[in-house]
Amino acid sequence: MSETTKKSPAGIDPRGPRFGAAITSALLLVTVFLALDPATLGAAFGLLLIVTASFVIGAFFGNSKHPYGFIFKKLVRPRLAAPKELEDPRPPQFAQLIGLLVAGVGVVLYASGLTGALIFAAGAAFIAAFLNAAFAYCLGCQIYVGLQRIGLIRKH
Amino acid sequence: MSLETRLAIVFGLVALAVLAGIIWKTRSGRAKKVSSGEQINLTEIAAIKDGKPVTEFGSRITFLQFSSEFCSACRQTARLYSELEQVHPDVLHIEIDITNRTDLANKFNILQTPTTLVLDSRGRVTSRISGAAKQQTIQDEIGSFVI
Repeated sequence: MSETTKKSPAGIDPRGPRFGAAITSALLLVTVFLALDPATLGAAFGLLLIVTASFVIGAFFGNSKHPYGFIFKKLVRPRLAAPKELEDPRPPQFAQLIGLLVAGVGVVLYASGLTGALIFAAGAAFIAAFLNAAFAYCLGCQIYVGLQRIGLIRKH
Repeated sequence: MSLETRLAIVFGLVALAVLAGIIWKTRSGRAKKVSSGEQINLTEIAAIKDGKPVTEFGSRITFLQFSSEFCSACRQTARLYSELEQVHPDVLHIEIDITNRTDLANKFNILQTPTTLVLDSRGRVTSRISGAAKQQTIQDEIGSFVI
C-alpha cells in the first residue's frame, strides 16, 4: 500500500464532483456568451463572481459543503445506483483550487479595467470543467507533478 | 457582435473542448515502447510494498507505477494492477508516491500521474504507460513477455 492510500480521508461518490463540474461548465459557457456583447458584459461579470464564489467553497471547504454537492446528495444520488467505488475527496478539491485561480484572475483583471480578460478566463475554466464533467479529466493527475517540478508547489 | 456570431463562438468553444477530450482520452493509457532499456535501481526508488522494502523484480514483469497526492486516476489504476497481480504470481506491481520525490519525477521525466514503467524480469524499462492504463493494455504487456 502506498503512503497516500494509508492517510486518505473518507471516500466520496466520484459522480458528485462531476455533477458539480457539469453545472459549473454550463454557467461558464453562459458567462462567455454574455461577455461577447458589451450590453451584457456586466451580467457576465456577475455570473463569473458566482462561479468564483463556488470555487472558493469547493477549494477550501470541500465538495460536502458545496451547494452542488448538496443538490447531488439530496436530489441526484438517491436516483442512481450505488457507485462502483469511492474516490479520495482531495483531487477534486485541488481542481477547484485551480478553477479558483483561473476565474479569480479573470475577476481581478476585469475589476482593474481589462474587461476582455473575462472571456479568456471564463473560456479556459469552461474547458477544464467540461473535460472533468464529460471525460472524467482529473486536473490533479495532469498538472500537479508538473507544477511541483517547476517549483510552483513546494511540499514541506 | 450579432447573436449569430456569439452563438457560433460559444458552439466553437464546446467543439474545441470535445475535441480536446477525445484527443486526451485516445492518447492516455497507451503503452509506448522504450528502446533505451534503462535499468531500475530498487534501492534508489525505495519502493515499499505491504510495509516491506521491495528487493526483487517480478519474475515475468513489473509494473512500476508513479502516483501523486491529488490523483484520483492513480487509485483506479493501482486497483487494476493489484487485481492482475492476484491472478498472475509472476507479475509485480510497485507504487511510488512522487509527491515528495521530485528527484524521481525529474529523473524519469514524469509530467502526469499515473505514469507506469513496464520492466522486464531484470528490471529494465521496456515500455511506458502515461495516464490511467487500460485493462487491455496491461494484458497485452503481460502477454508480450513469454515465460
